[in-house]
Amino acid sequence: MTDVSIGGAGLHTTLGRGLAANLAALDHPPTAPKLHAVELAGVEHALPYFLLADEPLRHIEQRFYDSIDTVVDDALTQSRLSSADRHATALFIGSSCGEMPVLEAEYRRDLQISRDALAMASTSSLGNLATRIRKRFALQGPDYSFYTACTASANALGYAAQMIRAGRIRHAVVLGVEIFNAVTAFGFSGLQLLTRDVMRPFDRRRAGLVPGEAIAAIVLTGEPHKGGWRILGGANLCDTHSISATNPDGSAIAAVVRQALAVSGVTLEELAAVKMHGTASLLNDEAEAAGIKLLFETPPPLCALKPYLGHTFGACGLAELALFCGRVSRGTLPATAGICAGDSDLNITLNQTSRPQSPGYFMLNYFGFGGSNTSLIVSNRS
Amino acid sequence: MSAVYIHATGDHYAPYDAANTDLKQDVTAAVGQPVRRIGRFIQLALIGAGRCAQAAPLAADTAVYFGSARGDLEISIEVMQTLFRDGHAPKPLSFINTVSNAACFYIAQTLKLNGRSSFVCNRYFAFESVLQLAMLDINSNAVAAALVGTVDAVVPPLEDHRIRLELPPETPVADASHWIGLRATPPHDKPLQLLAVENFSDSQALIAWLGSQPLDRCLLSGGQFLTETELQALATHCTASERFEYRDRAYYDSQSGAVIGEFVRNPACANRQLLHINRDPSGRYAVMWVGNPNISSS
Repeated sequence: MTDVSIGGAGLHTTLGRGLAANLAALDHPPTAPKLHAVELAGVEHALPYFLLADEPLRHIEQRFYDSIDTVVDDALTQSRLSSADRHATALFIGSSCGEMPVLEAEYRRDLQISRDALAMASTSSLGNLATRIRKRFALQGPDYSFYTACTASANALGYAAQMIRAGRIRHAVVLGVEIFNAVTAFGFSGLQLLTRDVMRPFDRRRAGLVPGEAIAAIVLTGEPHKGGWRILGGANLCDTHSISATNPDGSAIAAVVRQALAVSGVTLEELAAVKMHGTASLLNDEAEAAGIKLLFETPPPLCALKPYLGHTFGACGLAELALFCGRVSRGTLPATAGICAGDSDLNITLNQTSRPQSPGYFMLNYFGFGGSNTSLIVSNRS
Repeated sequence: MSAVYIHATGDHYAPYDAANTDLKQDVTAAVGQPVRRIGRFIQLALIGAGRCAQAAPLAADTAVYFGSARGDLEISIEVMQTLFRDGHAPKPLSFINTVSNAACFYIAQTLKLNGRSSFVCNRYFAFESVLQLAMLDINSNAVAAALVGTVDAVVPPLEDHRIRLELPPETPVADASHWIGLRATPPHDKPLQLLAVENFSDSQALIAWLGSQPLDRCLLSGGQFLTETELQALATHCTASERFEYRDRAYYDSQSGAVIGEFVRNPACANRQLLHINRDPSGRYAVMWVGNPNISSS
């Protein structure tokens, strides 16, 4: 069966533009978000958000498409795919916002002309972003746009890897996109899930999440990349406990983890570390902690990346994978000093120091609205 | 590699009728219970998926593959109007239901499923895309049973809906929900298989494939985005020549979802296979091939 390797990556988050800038930012402690004024019916609301670094919130359409193009271009350039390879390359997108930022900007503009303006008048297909990117980068392979909330780009990556493994495609561009939009900002605000403080998953002081923007692109390839990262497998399962929260007894999380390990041929004992979903919301952290307790007597080192990035929703699968793999490639596990340092009411301790990390097998977990739970297994062992 | 058998189909197709838009009774009949606080998109999903489950019961670990060109337009429009036109934050449940895979959740919860769940969009190949993912999972033994479908819901007023779908004025439009049940094990009665779901980057690749397959017992059908002229031209490159027609219907995006159900239910097709070809404006093609694999050699 074909190995699936990462052949190139591009990343733009609040930490920086490019993977190197993002990795460098992990050397500094997580910070509280800035508040951004969002106008609604003439009233300004201050909402916490981690925006893309060096991309002020203006010229929304251009900002949206140009930022995506740059990240995809970075990943494709690194991958050195020939033009013939690109022609057959498949595109997998995972997002929760899709082109919503653009649709919002258009509707706001149209409403200034008429109160009867049409919402979602253009680009109403959730497949249009894929069509645009394929055209821009001359990708003529099949495209699949995953809209499974916070697991979207993790699921996109999982299926891209599976198709390569099965020999159905040779290369895939996998893209995660989450860009500021008012629906998400006000939606989470209405659910009272936002904090203006540092995100502190699993910590006694956890007070909610901060939405974050991210664009991440990875080129997956069936050609061997010596010493690189391989996607071993993954699983996603639907948890019907509640549309907005995973089963707090941890059983649904334990089930998806066990299936991901079985598919990947890796045991719990072989895991060198786990990247937690860690949204710092009461219900998610409680369920995830319960899942860890069901799975491990003594868990391997646990880490979380949302304190740095914010919750990048549909993009978090890929953005956190890129950050995690980049950091471990440099020889250390991501750390969140001072966050969930050992006195958690959930009996979870997150990695606190830049401890050396050897190559090994790693698990990355993601859980989202709509009962979507996903677990990925990756390795950098040769 | 596991074969993929078609066990059931469940369909709903209704040209839009402004005087008859209430789907509550259809939902209750399809899933055996009323389901509250859901919009028409999710109602349509439950009607099609429920009818499929009635035709052949679903195991609890059945995976759901939900394809769509546009997702739940109605709820997205409602939330945007609430926010920007009316100046209010969206209601919590409305916001949560903007998550496209909310429809997958309601299907899984109502039909008591706990397997994989994917909501995947593609503008022109919505049904073909999810069918391919389901086949991939069953072929690789990752999944033993799959429920695969697409949903299209009209969002009135009709003139606005046609603008959003870029349709000429007066184009008839329809609600639709098409589902099929797949398993790795054959059914007792009619061992109908999903033989292939393929993508092609261009017509040359498609023509090469057509020429290499034993399609002599196949009926040929064209997708809604493939012109009649092109279908005729493609027919000259393969041994399938007789036609299967299903396209006489009002517009909705995912008409490919209807063809397998129409084929399975047609008694005249009992000893035939079906080859369905669709294309998109960038010149890519998608093919679905179903039938009893032993027919072509008999």
